[in-house]
Amino acid sequence: MLGPDTAWYLVVAAFLFGMGALGVLIRRNTLIVLLSLELMLNAGNLALIALSRHWHNGAGQIFALTVMAIAASEVCVGLGLVVALNRRELSLDVDTLSELRG
Amino acid sequence: MTGGAWLCLLAPLAGTILILLGGSWLPRVAAAWIATTSCFVAFGGAVWAFFSLRSQEGHHGEITTAWTWLQSGSFKVGLELLVDPLSAMMMLIVSGVGGLIVLYSIGYMDGDDEERRYFAYIAFFVFSMLLLVEGGNLLMLLVGWGLVGLSSYLLIGFWHERPSAVRAAKKAFVMNAFGDATMALAFFILITHTNSLSFGALDAHLSSTQANLVALGLLGGAVAKSAQIPLQTWLPDAMEGPTPVSALIHAATMVTAGVYLIARTHAIFEQARTIELIAAGTGALTLVVAGLIALVQTDIKRVIAYSTMSQIGYMFLGAGVGGYANGMFHLMTHAFFKALLFMGAGLAIHALAGEQDIRNMRGLGRVMPFTKWCFLAGALALVGVPPFAGFFSKDPIIASTLNIGWYGYIFYACGIAGAFLTGLYTFRLWFLVFPGEPSAFVREHYHDHHGREGAWTMLVPVGVLGVLATVGGWIQWPPLWTPITHWLAPVAPTLAVAEVSSTQEYVTSAVTVLVGVAGIALAWAVYSERRLAVPAAPFWRRLFENKFYFDWLYDRVFYTPSAWLATALRREFEEPVVLQTGPDLGDSTLATGSLVRRIQTGLLRTYVLFLAAGAAGVVLAFLIAK
Repeated sequence: MLGPDTAWYLVVAAFLFGMGALGVLIRRNTLIVLLSLELMLNAGNLALIALSRHWHNGAGQIFALTVMAIAASEVCVGLGLVVALNRRELSLDVDTLSELRG
Repeated sequence: MTGGAWLCLLAPLAGTILILLGGSWLPRVAAAWIATTSCFVAFGGAVWAFFSLRSQEGHHGEITTAWTWLQSGSFKVGLELLVDPLSAMMMLIVSGVGGLIVLYSIGYMDGDDEERRYFAYIAFFVFSMLLLVEGGNLLMLLVGWGLVGLSSYLLIGFWHERPSAVRAAKKAFVMNAFGDATMALAFFILITHTNSLSFGALDAHLSSTQANLVALGLLGGAVAKSAQIPLQTWLPDAMEGPTPVSALIHAATMVTAGVYLIARTHAIFEQARTIELIAAGTGALTLVVAGLIALVQTDIKRVIAYSTMSQIGYMFLGAGVGGYANGMFHLMTHAFFKALLFMGAGLAIHALAGEQDIRNMRGLGRVMPFTKWCFLAGALALVGVPPFAGFFSKDPIIASTLNIGWYGYIFYACGIAGAFLTGLYTFRLWFLVFPGEPSAFVREHYHDHHGREGAWTMLVPVGVLGVLATVGGWIQWPPLWTPITHWLAPVAPTLAVAEVSSTQEYVTSAVTVLVGVAGIALAWAVYSERRLAVPAAPFWRRLFENKFYFDWLYDRVFYTPSAWLATALRREFEEPVVLQTGPDLGDSTLATGSLVRRIQTGLLRTYVLFLAAGAAGVVLAFLIAK
C-alpha cells in the first residue's frame, strides 16, 4: 500500500473534526460557524475514504460523495440565511439570535 | 295476493312520509285525512289479499321476497312478506279496526296543538303493526316488534309536557325492550342450530334444552308486549296517552301481538310443551289478578286497561293449551269490543272536558244515550252474555282446558273466576257511570258538540264497532260451526288435547254465562241499588289498590339499587377519579413543562455543546462496552 498508514489519516481527520467542532462552539460569527461545519464534514469524508481504502470497500467512497452533495445543499441554505439576515440588517452574531428561548 | 299485502303494508308508511314531508305547510285536517285514508287503503289491500288467499287451493299462503336483506355465508334473510290465513286475519283486524280508530281520532284530537305529529305517529304505528303480522320470517317479525314498541313509546308520551306521560312512555319502552332482548337471544340460539330464521326453521328438531330456551325467549317477548305477569306494570300507566291510542295500541292491536307470536311460532312451543303450559299458566294468573285490581280502580281508562290485561290472559290461556284458533278468535272479538269500550270512554271524557274519575260521572247516560247503549253492547260482549261477541270466543277457551291434565282444572277454575270478576268490574263501571240522575259534576261540565254527543267522526266508528261487538262473534260457535278454526288449520292447527266434547262445551258455556250474569247482578246490587255495602276488607282493598305491590317490588328490587349504585359510583369513583384526572393531568404537564423549558436557551452554541457531549457520551459508551 502506497503512502502513510491508515492511522495517520484518521489522526488528521480527528484533528480536523476537533478543530471544526471547537470553531462551532466558540466562534460567534455566523459565517465562521458555517466554515467550521464544512471542516467537520470534510473531516468525516477523509475518515470515510481512508477506511474505504483500508478495507478495500467502495461503500465509503460512495458515502463521501453523498456527504459532499449534502454539504453543498447545506451551504446553499446556510449562506442564504446569512444573506437574508444581512438584508434585514440583523446582527450576524449567533448569540443575539436567541428568540426561540423557552 | 302479494300485491294486496304490499299495498296494505306500504299505504300507512306512505301516509306517514306524506305528513312528515308536508310539515306545517299541510293543513291540520289534511294530515288527519291522509292518515285515515292510508289506513282504509291498507284495509282494502288486506281484503284483496284475503279474497285471493281464499280462492287459492288449500289456502296455504305465499311468501314474496323483495330482495335479500342481509347475508352472511350461507345464512340469508330476505325482505319477505307472508300472506297466509293467520297473517291475513291479523291484517284485516289491524287495518280495519285501526282505520276506524284513526277516523275517531279526527274528532278526538281536533284542536290539539300538534295534531299533525299525532297522525304521523299513528299511521307509522299501523305500518309497524302490519309489518309485524306480515313479516315473512322471524327477523322481519322482530323488526315490526321493535317498531311497534317505538311508536307506542312515541304515542304514550305524545303529550310531552306532562311529566307523568313521559315517565309512562319510558316505563313502557324499557319493559318492552326487555322482551325484545329475550326474543333476540332466542333467535341467536335458533341461528346457531338451524342456520335460518324462516318460520320453517321452527319445525327443525332441536334438543329439548334448546327448544325450551328458544320458547322461553319468545315467551319473554310475548309476555312483555302483551302486559302479562310479571311484565304487566307498564300497561295501566300507558293510559297517559290519548284515548284513541289506548284503544288502538293498548287494547285492539299491539298488546295482542304476544298471542299472535305464540300462534305463529307454535311449532317451537309444541316442542317445548312445558313452556307452552307456563304461557297458559301466566295467562290464567294474569286474568284473575288483573280482574281483581280492576275492581278498585276509579279512573275509567284504567278499569278498561286492567280488563284488557285480563282478556289477553284468556287469549294466552287459549293459545297456551294449544287452541290457537280459540286465542285468535278471542283476539278478534276483543279488538271489536275493547276498542268500542275505550272509544265510548273517550266520548265521555271528551264531553266532560277531560274528566276520567268514574265517581264524578254518575248519570251520564241521561245526556249521552248513544254512548250509553254502545257502551252497554261492549260491556255485555266483554262479559260474554249471548248473543254478544265475547260469549262465542271466551267459552271455548275456558272449555279447552278440560282435557289437558290435572292443571287444566286449575286453569278452568281461573277462567270461571275471571268470568265472574269480568261481570263484576265491568258492570261496576257501567252502573257507576251511566244510569240514574246526572250528578252535579255532569250537569256542570257536560257540553255537547253542535247538539250531538261528539263529532260525527267519533260517533260513526263507535256505532260500527257497536254493531261488530254484537254480531262479530257469530262467525264461529263451537262446536256447531267453526270456520275460523278451519281457516287457521293450515297454519296453526288446534292440538288434540285442546279438543273438547260438545257436552263439555255446552256445560262450560252455561256455567260461564251464569257466573258472568251473577257478577252483573252483584254489581247491580252493590253499585246501582246499594242494597249491599262494599265489604270493608281493608287488607284486600289495600292489596288491590296497590296492584299487588308489583310496582313497589320493582322499585325496591331494580330501581332503588341501581339508583343507589349510580349515586355511589358518582360519589366514590366519578368525582374523585374521572372528574379529577383531567385537571391533574394538565397541572402536572404544566409543571414539567416549566421545568424543562429552561433547557431551551435559544443560544445555538449551547445546543451544539449538548450535541457534542451526547455524541462523545455514545462513543465513550461503545468504547467501555468493547
